Amino acid sequence: MIEFLEGNDAVVRGALDAGCRFFAGYPITPATSILTGMMRAMPEAGGVAVQCEDEIASIGMCIGASMTGQKVLTATSGPGMSLYSENIGLAITGETPLVIVNVQRQGPATGSATKGADGDILFMRWGTSGGLPLIVLSPESVHECYTLTRAAFDLAERYRVPVILASQKEVGLTRERVDLDEARAAMPPSRPRDAAPTDRPYVPHAFEQPDDVAPLSPIGGPHLLRYTTSMHDERAWLTGDPAVISRMMEHLRRKIDDHADEIALFDHDPDVGAKNLVVSYGITARSAREAVARVRAAGGRVSLLVLKTLFPVPEAAIRAALIGIERVVVPEMNLGQYAREVQLFADGREVRSVTRMDTELVSPDDVIREGGLL
Amino acid sequence: MSYLDEASLPLPFCPGCGHAKVTHAIDEALQILGRPKERVVVVTDIGCVGLTDRHFDTNAFHGLHGRSITYASGIKLADPDLTVVVVMGDGGAGIGGAHLLAAARRNIGICVIVANNFNYGMTGGQHSCTTPSGGITATCHLGNLEAPLDLMGTLRPSKPGFLARTSVFADDVPALIARGLATQGFSLVDIWDLCVAYYAGQNTLTRNSIADMMAELEMPAGVHFEGGRPEFARAWRDLYHPAETADDEGMCLLPPDAGLAPVAESILAARTGILIAGAAGQKIRSLATVFGAGAIMSGLHATQKDDYPITVMTGHSAAEVLVSPVPIVYTGIEVPDVVLILSEEGRARVARKLAKLPPESRVYVEASLGPVETQARVIPLDLKGAAKEVHRLAVGAVGVGTILAAEGIYPLEAFEAAARRLQKQKVADTNIAGLRAGAALAG
Ligand SMILES: Cc1ncc(C[n+]2csc(CCOP(=O)(O)OP(=O)(O)O)c2C)c(N)n1
Ligand SMILES: [Mg+2]
Repeated sequence: MIEFLEGNDAVVRGALDAGCRFFAGYPITPATSILTGMMRAMPEAGGVAVQCEDEIASIGMCIGASMTGQKVLTATSGPGMSLYSENIGLAITGETPLVIVNVQRQGPATGSATKGADGDILFMRWGTSGGLPLIVLSPESVHECYTLTRAAFDLAERYRVPVILASQKEVGLTRERVDLDEARAAMPPSRPRDAAPTDRPYVPHAFEQPDDVAPLSPIGGPHLLRYTTSMHDERAWLTGDPAVISRMMEHLRRKIDDHADEIALFDHDPDVGAKNLVVSYGITARSAREAVARVRAAGGRVSLLVLKTLFPVPEAAIRAALIGIERVVVPEMNLGQYAREVQLFADGREVRSVTRMDTELVSPDDVIREGGLL
Repeated sequence: MSYLDEASLPLPFCPGCGHAKVTHAIDEALQILGRPKERVVVVTDIGCVGLTDRHFDTNAFHGLHGRSITYASGIKLADPDLTVVVVMGDGGAGIGGAHLLAAARRNIGICVIVANNFNYGMTGGQHSCTTPSGGITATCHLGNLEAPLDLMGTLRPSKPGFLARTSVFADDVPALIARGLATQGFSLVDIWDLCVAYYAGQNTLTRNSIADMMAELEMPAGVHFEGGRPEFARAWRDLYHPAETADDEGMCLLPPDAGLAPVAESILAARTGILIAGAAGQKIRSLATVFGAGAIMSGLHATQKDDYPITVMTGHSAAEVLVSPVPIVYTGIEVPDVVLILSEEGRARVARKLAKLPPESRVYVEASLGPVETQARVIPLDLKGAAKEVHRLAVGAVGVGTILAAEGIYPLEAFEAAARRLQKQKVADTNIAGLRAGAALAG
């Protein structure tokens, strides 16, 4: 069925189809329509959706509900992401599957409430204490608001980790022609939550290899569940033993970082003989696509890498795309954030950051001109 | 059957700390209630008191400072049949005050035990929201200037399920906790407690003087409230979940719908950016959605972005619609091809863009607004006059009808089909009549 939908509507549909049956949120432009959309959708689906007293309660309720076995979602924008910060760390250490949608607005602080930016890209990765990894995906279209929301739920279950969908006003509140039935038909069924075997004692954070992920047994289910914000061993008991802590840090890091290739979602569009590569993501990827098409139409050569997974950084994809390339152009709607990640693999190549944070889109012309592509 | 993990004992508290008594009282209360351990969750806050969950042989959740009520609420909302106990300090009650108030107002069925020792024990005895005026702590060594929070008095107006105050030295602690646990809605037991490491010594608070302190502060022990409001997690389901019907099998989440399948064909050759600028109340956003949907129903691609203030019925309301015979990659409109101005507010909003328009662009403007400062071709039209014949709110539809006819973007019938598809019949009728009047105006 062809529809004319906003990105936020597609997030709601994606969450429903992923099996999400719990939502808690707090109103904030430009994310509010996810809250109201979930309030409308949950009752029919047999789920629960509540407006909380603040964003801290929203994510807290989601974490609690997730530990009872529900797939959970919360949605906000920059100011609310700041309030989520401490609980994102809790979800990481407690290995709680959780999907967060950050419909970014131009910031800092209250910023331009109704205008877009990608100013939270590094904040989403590094915005909680401890520095341990989580997963960040970035949709460039209404269609991807659906498919990447589905993917976010699957990844959250697979790795027992918070997954953030880095949307923004220009995606979340732009209406586009989409066919979600087609999108649904092209996707595998959503991943159910793994059940823990009942014939042996349950160890909530068990792992043999550091990157193993234990199945989650729900609160109220067949096992007694222990959960703690404090540094713990595999049984979720407090520990001060450096050897145990070291193993736990390895586990929380490597269950994500060792699987970066599996988590990596991207489009690589190489141009034979191109010396320039454009790396982009989110709404700006569309400007990059248009710029690349114009350069090629004018007889120029340029390759394109569009990243849908931002964290863990798809290192292998970036390295592969860099082969034969002399210069990398990274357009983004901030003052140059992801360009720093790309720089890590540039091996002396010039990395040119094309930035804009005045609430306007980076235009294809900006990419061509400031990127020096023609 | 004890609900404590015997192997984990003894409890880790300072000798004489009331937290041990609180822990054992919770165990006793759980024994009175007798629920299966799998159906009990002990959620603890941060602080010395947050060390207790480790010693319970139930589900145990130790969360962030002040946020225990939020996890407990999420757990209860997701599985209303669980018995959910929160154990927090006076510190947690202070930093998480908003959650305390919200939980009591919701009347969510969690039982909150506040081990109230009048200071932050774990961080070395700083003052909390319950430190009495004049109390000496590490952060008010000349005496506390703040007034203490009365948990009973604060929460009573919310009419939750059960509110009681006692002290660790009273005999009724397990019984009061058991009553809290048995309560359907929100319950809280405020247990006055001795912090032997910090508060008690510096303030000569003893087993015997706690009763005097209650009298002095006019915060007596006892049951302070019992209410019968419906419990939130169940009430939410009762209110919002549709009544089960015999034939709800195979019910899909969204009604079956033909969507925006094409009904006409557009001959539009190139991507065209249209800016519709009007006033709040002119239904610009829904009109732009129907306009874009009409494009889709004639085989085109479309995007729409709105621009409006948070107020209603005052100020501007504008929308950008991009239509294209090929999929739209870049969603920005660098140079609008067509601008439709319906009101003064709209004109002011797009003035910067008008000033930059090239001569090839077309500006359709309500004639009464007077001259427009732009290099583009300006086409003044009596949109309001034409709308008058139809409906006060039809001026936007008249404008769109004019553009569709004059610019040949797509056939009128596609707009009409889109209006029928997306709008209530009366609104669609008005818009279709407006559209036709506009098309006639374009000649
Ligand atoms: C956000 C945050 N701020 C500060 C702290 C440090 N902290 C740990 S315990 C505590 C006070 C606990 O006091 P209370 O809740 O009364 O428990 P008690 O130790 O007295 O039992 C504080 C401030 C923290 N853990 N988290
Ligand atoms: Mg205390």
